[in-house]
Amino acid sequence: MSRNQQTANADIDVSNFSRHLNGQNAPIWWGIIGLILIELSVVSAFTVTYLYLYMQHPQWPPNDIAPPPLFIPTWSTILMLLSCVTMYLAGKSVEKNKSKGFVVYTFASVIMALLVLWIRWQQFDNFDMRWDQHVYGSLLWTISGFHFIHIVSAAIGTAAIGLFGMVGFYTKQRQIGVVVDTMYWNFVAFAWLPFYLVLYYFPRL
Amino acid sequence: MSLKNHPHTEQAIFDDQEGAESILDKTWLSPPGFLGWFTHVNQRQIGFRFVVTSLIFFALGGLLALLMRLQLVQPENTLMGAEFYHQIMTMHGTTMMFFFAVPAMEGLGIYLVPLMIGTRDMSFPRLNAFGYYVYLLAGITLYLALFLGMAPNTGWFSYVPLAGIDYSPGQGVSFWTTMITFIEISALTAAVELIVTILKQRAPGMTLNRMPIFVWSILVMSFMIVFAMPTVMVGSVLLALDRTFATQFFVASGGGDPLLWQHLFWFFGHPEVYIIVVPALGIVSTVISTFCQREVFGYTAVVLSMVTIGFVSFGLWVHHMFTTGLPHLGLSFFTAASAMIAIPSGVQIFCWIATLWGSKIQFKTPMLFIMGFFAVFVIGGLTGVMAASIPFDMQAHDSYFVVAHLHYVLIGGAVLPFFAGLYYWYPKMTGAMLSERLGRWSFWLIFVGLNLTFFPMHQLGLDGMPRRVYTYLHNMGWEEINFFVTCAAFLMAFGFLLTFINTLISPYKSRAAGSNPWHADTLEWWAQSPPRNYNFRHLPVISSRTPLWQKAPLYKVTGIRADRREIIITTLLDAKPQGVCIMPSPTYWPFVLALTVGFGFLGFMFKPILFVVGFFLSFFAIVGWLWPARPWLAEKPPEDGHPVRGLQ
Ligand code: HEM
Ligand SMILES: [Cu+2]
Repeated sequence: MSRNQQTANADIDVSNFSRHLNGQNAPIWWGIIGLILIELSVVSAFTVTYLYLYMQHPQWPPNDIAPPPLFIPTWSTILMLLSCVTMYLAGKSVEKNKSKGFVVYTFASVIMALLVLWIRWQQFDNFDMRWDQHVYGSLLWTISGFHFIHIVSAAIGTAAIGLFGMVGFYTKQRQIGVVVDTMYWNFVAFAWLPFYLVLYYFPRL
Repeated sequence: MSLKNHPHTEQAIFDDQEGAESILDKTWLSPPGFLGWFTHVNQRQIGFRFVVTSLIFFALGGLLALLMRLQLVQPENTLMGAEFYHQIMTMHGTTMMFFFAVPAMEGLGIYLVPLMIGTRDMSFPRLNAFGYYVYLLAGITLYLALFLGMAPNTGWFSYVPLAGIDYSPGQGVSFWTTMITFIEISALTAAVELIVTILKQRAPGMTLNRMPIFVWSILVMSFMIVFAMPTVMVGSVLLALDRTFATQFFVASGGGDPLLWQHLFWFFGHPEVYIIVVPALGIVSTVISTFCQREVFGYTAVVLSMVTIGFVSFGLWVHHMFTTGLPHLGLSFFTAASAMIAIPSGVQIFCWIATLWGSKIQFKTPMLFIMGFFAVFVIGGLTGVMAASIPFDMQAHDSYFVVAHLHYVLIGGAVLPFFAGLYYWYPKMTGAMLSERLGRWSFWLIFVGLNLTFFPMHQLGLDGMPRRVYTYLHNMGWEEINFFVTCAAFLMAFGFLLTFINTLISPYKSRAAGSNPWHADTLEWWAQSPPRNYNFRHLPVISSRTPLWQKAPLYKVTGIRADRREIIITTLLDAKPQGVCIMPSPTYWPFVLALTVGFGFLGFMFKPILFVVGFFLSFFAIVGWLWPARPWLAEKPPEDGHPVRGLQ
């Protein structure tokens, strides 16, 4: 008999196995990885589209338009990354069964996200070019808007998680919802980095 | 709802206990009745719906093809005008590629994968249901548009600037972009679920190198979908923005670039062909193995070549753009890459030949379709090699030669194997055999009909007949062939009709299938035909690649509760049991979410602000869907020994 013809020689009893799957053994953990892979494909498609169009143009941005100012978006980027820390702390609180801390940190993250959204909203007003004037403007608006919607989703999702937490749903054993929400949150925060790079630095090259 | 499905008993009931069967039945029940239909989440229901719906779209797409052929039966025909011809041509291509081929393969995967790997459901049953409703809504909407005379008319690849707002005003192309985005959501949800199910829910002992080849093919297909479909989504969203908000992505005068569309489209479009073909290769291996009654020769080689095909197919998209004036060095690279795909394809074919060699082949209907696949796919491959050579492509591009080539590849590479699969697995899905006599008639009519239809098209192309024209002039020398081709198309259609009739009457006429009518080796044949809602009475423990051919009995998993939807989670590579997962119960929420998402997307076409409304409505649906079900699982095991047994 070859190696893959060997027979297992006993029934397997799983009655004592955990019914609380919290990490990589939970299907949803892998499901979120799948979602992130999909969105990574989307993020790369946007980034490549930007670079492709950028390379077609000797002058970028066109018509002596100034590239968008750097200062405020840099702060909003930092704020976005900081909110990953509060999300991390929220997760830690669940692990220690501290539901109050959990609720505080989750809503702190949500508030930070709202702040980022508010800053981004102001920036939309300050873009020097409309989306329909030139493809440069189309890219600026579309990519910013695309990421904006993602922060909105992450914020609403996390607020819902916070509410479930207030009802007392999350505990050390039952924390997978928090784990995957944090994964997605981190993804949304870090997905901004390539966009930040192309939108704010490439026009300066 | 959850309470009903998780009865609150003093003593937990396990599936290895006496009488557990009727409790399993109750636990995994899909609620009956018309309204219950919208709550179903079990993989068997959803997979079956996918397959049946995709076949209906195949029939619709085929009817449109016949209409086209009727229009082309003679020169300067006035059956229909250019506008209508272009609508049905676009709808035919779009239907066949997006609404038939991909959902059909995914549907087979959804139905079969959990059975083949020995589990009771897909990882995300509610997402599964959601994906189906999204698909259904997208299809219905697109065909409503056709009936209203508002269907897209720019061909299945919607090239700009033709598809831009200047040349295609009105809602036609908007329907296309919206529904393409929508159908990709469905394809992507199914892909992620298939990946997770395959990686995390294989029966204990089913290491990756014991996994059935069909499951491998579905895994490769799903990964391809995850990396390919988002590009076409981005493309169609950008096109929608161009059309609705006057962004300039594909508008040359605004600094945009029409070629960008082609890149985005074909970066998806070429893998798309292999997304359809790879699962078909899985079907071929499965059917050959069963009807030769031996393992496929070179398991590892077959699997690796499928994976290679998946990878390489992403590097080929530019061969659809040879005539667009790209730099020469680039073109040579893509020619070479296109030729390279022949290597893994060759490996597969040699392994199949080695399997068939010297074995006693049973030529049942599924095997006939596989033989048809060999003949037709090889011809399609050869004309593909011709088209991959740039000088030839310069001549044949956008002529009927390409129409002939693409149908040989698609029908040979996807439709024939799919029908083989249909004849092969129909007994499992329905409990009845399909009629062999009708099956043979159907196969031969299809096989002869398709060759008579498409082979002459090569000649039409070489004679200069362009594709995508609604009519042609007298005296071009194309009349006889076109007349002949149209007649042959009806012959082929009649062949397909026979299979449809076969599937409809067989449950009433033919004999019961029994659980393993072909004496096959994979696990789905271990379940009853049709399988119960819970798939298996006991979850198996696997110790070989061919569990049903081994002499020793299968060992089983014990300690799974029957009164709760429980499945086992195993490790990624070697499938060691890791934990037990409790699956969600039937619910309306996926259906509601499909409606709100649909509202957002369709609303966007008419009033962009409605997209925002749909977006927020969707969040209500998502929260409802994820609402934690009480009673929550107890956390602390009782002191007296059995940690989980006897809880709740
Ligand atoms: C059932 C028999 C079929 C017939 C008689 C048929 C016939 C045709 C015809 C007449 C055209 C239009 C050619 C033109 O005007 O340029 C066409 C295009 C096309 N067909 Fe089919 N077809 C069949 C099946 C299929 C299948 C099974 C698929 C895919 C799985 C498919 C995919 C396509 C595609 C992608 C196009 C291109 C549409 C476009 O140019 O936008 N067809 N077919
Ligand atoms: Cu190609």
